[in-house]
Amino acid sequence: MKLTAYYWERTKRNRTAIAGLLFIIFLIILATAGPLFTLSPTQVNFDEKNIPPPGFALEQSIYSASSGGFVTTVQQGTWAHPLGTDGMGRDMLAMLISGARVSLLVGLLATGIAIIIGALIGITCAYFGGAMDGLLMRATDIFMTFPFLLLLILIVYLFGQSLTLIILAIGLTGWTGTARLVRSETLSLRTREFILASKALGASHLRIIFYHLLPNVLSSIIVLATLSIPGAILAEAALSFIGLGDPQVASWGNILNAGQGSLRTAWWVAVEPGLLLFFTVLAFNLLGEGLREAFEPGGD
Amino acid sequence: MSLRTYIAKRLLHTILIAWGVMTAAFFLMRLGPNSPADKYIAGLGAGHNVTQVVAAIESRYGVDKPLHEQYFNYISSLLHGDWGWSFGTSMPVMELIKTHWIYSFQLVLLSSIFAIVLGISLGIFTAVKKNSRADHIAAFFSFAGISIPHFWLGIMLILIFSVKLGWFQTYYDTSLPLLSLDNLHALTLPVITLGTGMMAGYSRYVRNSMLENMGKDFVRTARAKGLPERTVIGKHVFRNAMLPVITIIMLDMSGIVFGGAYMTEVIFGIPGLGWMSLKAVFADDYSVVMAVTLIGAFMTLLFNLLADIAYTYLDPRIRYE
Repeated sequence: MKLTAYYWERTKRNRTAIAGLLFIIFLIILATAGPLFTLSPTQVNFDEKNIPPPGFALEQSIYSASSGGFVTTVQQGTWAHPLGTDGMGRDMLAMLISGARVSLLVGLLATGIAIIIGALIGITCAYFGGAMDGLLMRATDIFMTFPFLLLLILIVYLFGQSLTLIILAIGLTGWTGTARLVRSETLSLRTREFILASKALGASHLRIIFYHLLPNVLSSIIVLATLSIPGAILAEAALSFIGLGDPQVASWGNILNAGQGSLRTAWWVAVEPGLLLFFTVLAFNLLGEGLREAFEPGGD
Repeated sequence: MSLRTYIAKRLLHTILIAWGVMTAAFFLMRLGPNSPADKYIAGLGAGHNVTQVVAAIESRYGVDKPLHEQYFNYISSLLHGDWGWSFGTSMPVMELIKTHWIYSFQLVLLSSIFAIVLGISLGIFTAVKKNSRADHIAAFFSFAGISIPHFWLGIMLILIFSVKLGWFQTYYDTSLPLLSLDNLHALTLPVITLGTGMMAGYSRYVRNSMLENMGKDFVRTARAKGLPERTVIGKHVFRNAMLPVITIIMLDMSGIVFGGAYMTEVIFGIPGLGWMSLKAVFADDYSVVMAVTLIGAFMTLLFNLLADIAYTYLDPRIRYE
């Protein structure tokens, strides 16, 4: 695997790409090991609602029945809830870690589905050409015409709100870009000498596709996959935000939605999930751009 | 191929895809587990003969007819401008769209102007000052601008400028007359929300396109002739650099109307098409959701076609294939 080492050397030189990679690794560790150390993300406790993060204080004027008027209470942040609690007293850190699991799961699985479908369709279209190519490319045209978010909303509306369905929906609607890219790259490869040579040697179609064509378009696929993950994560967050996500799990989108409702009191409920979402998208974009530069020929 | 045949061919292709979109929408609708009657009887009180009601609704909407007949009726009513009936508001979907589209339109128009003017200026500036400190700072901000989830940006703008500073309303005021300064003021935060990502994208795109053209031979010739740098950049480089940018902007517009504007409308309570269709989702108002999806698809097709035609007019060097 000398080539992998070579590309890794080139990526390593790009400091922002490495920063992105480190953040993604941190997020993966947080999402997998985090739930072992934090409180339950679903534990409701109305005695501890709207606790700010440590170092902040929340001043509220609350009607008190015993004194018959408004009294000002000051809620100080505590280290028991390092990122505060929401309006139902749930621990923000635990909820955000649950959200990280959802986002990573959606980002990786949905992109995986989209990339596999897109790559297979793209390669087959370009390699065999003819009527099938025309038909599949027209199907791609039709697919691309639907606005992505609206199509997702329509699918979730028609078939129900579950995380599995959302992942499938994002994956099954997101393959068109990959198909286009892989097709155009394969088109320029299929007439090259090494493909003709293996054809002349009697290699089967499957062998040519998987041993000769696929490895040559792999670098583009990796870059595209990395840059597609934020789109999938954002799509799920947007769906959850408007209330069409999976209601059973805490995801960054639905925490953000609750946060918009409590901006006047518990501002951190809106700030924290969005900040994580922002950093996650940024990290994947930085890594993707870094990989793109590393795979580009020349520049040594 | 002449320009006219090229346009005719593109037009034919567009019509073919539009037909495909309608067909896909029809089968998506039939694949779903819900029939329009399900939604209706769910809201029905006791004491009704459910089978009778279902039969009445199914015959009213033609769901009891054979599939090919349903399909034919569906396409023909779409073409006649009958886009279905909204249960939630008790009016034709077309009427509903006519009252709401203007809010989406003003938001998208203003955001596009904001993004185009600022994005192009920033792109030119950073291309001219390549590798300067200002260029690096701009690159950092445009990368952040592309990555920031715009719906979160919107909420943060509300938190800072509406809740903390009190400069704007937290919610869009629908009673404002459309052509007034107050309305413009009310749209400030939504426009920044929707426009920031677009602006960041355009500035990067313009910068790359400008730099690519600056290295070309005709620029060297222009400089060698002794033209002032202003003319070289403003006329020779800029005009050529803008060609691909115009296409990108046009393709973006249709997508923005139904993607980005959707969330922005929801956050600020702007009663545009996105806000309307989300309300319809929660009211189980099926035909409205379908209609907005179809309009989104048709807009994309239209803008694709316009971008292609514009490109051939703007750049006579292009070969039509």
